[in-house]
Amino acid sequence: MSLHRADTLGGRAAVVGIGATEFSKDSGRSELKLAVEAVHAALDDAGLTPADVDGLVTFTMDTSPEITVAQAAGIGELSFFSRVHYGGGAACATVQQAAMAVATGVAEVVVCYRAFNERSGHRFGSGLQARQPSAEGVSMGWTMPPGLLTPASWVALHAARYLHTYGLSPDVFGPVAVADRRHAAANPAAYFYRRPITLADHAASRWIVEPLRLLDCCQETDGGQALVVTSVERARDLRHAPAVVAAAAQGAGRAQEAMTSFYRDDLTGLPELGVVARQLWRSSGLGPGDVDTAVLYDHFTPFVLMQLEEFGFCGRGEAAAFAADGGLELGGRLPVNTHGGQLGEAYLHGMNGIAEGVRQLRGSSVNQVAEAKTVLVTAGTGVPTSGLVLTCDG
Amino acid sequence: MNPEAYQGLPSTVAGVGLDLVNAPMIRHWCEAMGDANPAYTGAGPAGAEPIAPPAMLQAWTMGQSGRSAHFDALMRELDAAGYASVVATDCEQQYARPLRIGERVLFDSDIESVSAKKRTALGTGYFITTRMDIRAYDEAAGEKPGDATPVGSHRFRILKFQPAERSGRPQGVDAGPLRPRPVVNRDNAGYWEGVAAGELRFQRCDDCGTARFPWLPGCNACGSARWHPEAASGAGEVYSKVVVHHPLPPAFGAEPYAVALVELAEGVRIVANVVGTTADAVAIGMPVRLGFRRYDDELMLPVFHLAGPDRLPPLRVPVTRTLIVSGAIASRDYQEVHHDAELARAKGAPDIFMNILTSNGLVGRYVTDWTGPDVRVESIAIRLGVPAYPGDELQFSGEVTERGENGRLVLAIRGTGRLGVHVSGTVKVRVNATDEAAGQATDKATGRATDTATGQATDKATGQATDKATGKGDPA
Repeated sequence: MSLHRADTLGGRAAVVGIGATEFSKDSGRSELKLAVEAVHAALDDAGLTPADVDGLVTFTMDTSPEITVAQAAGIGELSFFSRVHYGGGAACATVQQAAMAVATGVAEVVVCYRAFNERSGHRFGSGLQARQPSAEGVSMGWTMPPGLLTPASWVALHAARYLHTYGLSPDVFGPVAVADRRHAAANPAAYFYRRPITLADHAASRWIVEPLRLLDCCQETDGGQALVVTSVERARDLRHAPAVVAAAAQGAGRAQEAMTSFYRDDLTGLPELGVVARQLWRSSGLGPGDVDTAVLYDHFTPFVLMQLEEFGFCGRGEAAAFAADGGLELGGRLPVNTHGGQLGEAYLHGMNGIAEGVRQLRGSSVNQVAEAKTVLVTAGTGVPTSGLVLTCDG
Repeated sequence: MNPEAYQGLPSTVAGVGLDLVNAPMIRHWCEAMGDANPAYTGAGPAGAEPIAPPAMLQAWTMGQSGRSAHFDALMRELDAAGYASVVATDCEQQYARPLRIGERVLFDSDIESVSAKKRTALGTGYFITTRMDIRAYDEAAGEKPGDATPVGSHRFRILKFQPAERSGRPQGVDAGPLRPRPVVNRDNAGYWEGVAAGELRFQRCDDCGTARFPWLPGCNACGSARWHPEAASGAGEVYSKVVVHHPLPPAFGAEPYAVALVELAEGVRIVANVVGTTADAVAIGMPVRLGFRRYDDELMLPVFHLAGPDRLPPLRVPVTRTLIVSGAIASRDYQEVHHDAELARAKGAPDIFMNILTSNGLVGRYVTDWTGPDVRVESIAIRLGVPAYPGDELQFSGEVTERGENGRLVLAIRGTGRLGVHVSGTVKVRVNATDEAAGQATDKATGRATDTATGQATDKATGQATDKATGKGDPA
């Protein structure tokens, strides 16, 4: 991939298996066990066995090392193992790494996974207290003494500027939450199954960090999700129709920070996702008009609006209008997060969203978009990130 | 016991100031308060006669001259009933005219009201309000008591109380959890050295001239490793702002707090708290001015205050033992709780604490630091909140809430320490009190009256830290 030219990764690899544990607030077992269960579930879904696997990819933030997952999952020798940094920004990049390994022959079957007890164990939302004086620690450290300690607070500082710039109220985030929760309500796997909300519920929910309300924020989850990636050729012999990786991209912006990119440009966009968007469109030869449904990373609602703008689904400052009146719901302008998103299904650092993209192409989503052929999936926002365009084979 | 029966009885009858208004006591007061106003020392415009600091009014009446048997009886009755502790809560002074050297004050006061029994954070007790009228005559110039003319009035409220059962550790300034520490390494140590020195330093590339923040060893614009630090002027604007509601770590207080992204005049941005106002009052686009606030023994942070013509620049006053004791003595207040830590503890306080006359004096100083010496202070009315103990630091902020005719301004003032608001109140001034002040009045209208000289002279005279930005940020 490149900043300036289309890359040649598209059409070489496919996601052929998806598998997850249940999503809960207390899994009652170790993160390693969750990872192994998810890997097994994904292999079962693909019709493959641990013996077929020669590659593993996860997040730097994951506590279950590739070798230990292999050891506990019955996987033998590995010719490829890799981890991607920057929290949820890693999600789609794990598939990109796997696809690159498959496309180059470095590995044949790669499993990407992410598993954690984020709710019952260490909670991101509880706030930072201290950091080591590494370059990364120092970067986060500027905002801690004045009291920006949580992801919600970092996102809110961007969101406040966005609202100010376009003269909007925090109510514009409501339709994102409502769409997610409507989709989750129909998804038995979702934490918020059968629990839709209204715009009024959103507007009445308590402040977490103004301008973010409770219903703008995802809940921490316990659970694991895995994805099996192999070559398109091999995929055609497997159980399900392949979800072809038409394009995969990572992106970091100029003067990028991990979650505190407050010191550059005008804070109304997501420049790192702009890098991802340009590369996805360029390499896939597709554009926003070709997308049947999208899985847009939604740990917090405001960045869903900004993503719509970065990917060109609407103009700058127009996402609120785009999302209003059910624009992101099934049957709307662009059905988004049909599994319920991280706000409604589970916060699995974006990995569960990739699985939903695969289901849409298989035609097996609980909120199926008719004849979905092209799906856009994005990873963590506000961080160095990644994205995928998945398409049906042929 | 029926304390309310004392309402309306005299508390002072024909009180006489023990000393004439005199230069040494004024000097002691000014030294204790860190007040460098030349109007009080005769260093002002040629020919201008020195006046006593208005907030010193009560000090001339101290010493119990004329104290009535009624007042003593009321105190004894409350002491006997277990309401033995006393704390001053309010002080409202009106100034009819300035006091000058050589004058003697005469005063009478009444017990204006005694409240019903009240429960307060300190304990259960009675609020007693006295109102004093003060006159004075120029004894040094040969005038007689009969020549006395009104100089002002003084309403004073105390709480006579039985301390509440204290639970857990004393509420000293070091009590409680601390904010997260800054993360410091070799790449950004210079920034934190700057903060310790009262400067907000950003980096500037030696090769391409780009200003940058946060601190990094190289330039993102050109890649150069050569740079130098620069101190921010202190002017800035709120670029973005959030209010944190949840989680609310104890170190940040009990109320939701504002965190702002401030864009400095030099073009770099920094995340910091906006202080001296409510979280809701902070808005994107507001002009702000740099200050510094000490949060605990280790942690000092740059903070921002709302700026603009209606905002007084911030003032930081470290609460030292010296300030508390010298302020008490300069105001002739010999209550043990203001100078004797052991006895203060015996009376239920964690340490000595600032007396209300000093708080009043600091409010007066803060206002006249801003207006300049050519001002008539018409009244100061303050209410005390949390006590100020040694080791704390008071951060004064203020704003113009009303602009009347003839240069009359109403100012709302707050002095906040680590435990919360120590003093809040209203000060009324007239800024064109003399012809000469007409020019100054223009400055006041733009809020640029505080000049470098005032701030620095204060620093030198007393060694008290004033806000560096006060002087630096203002090109006026």
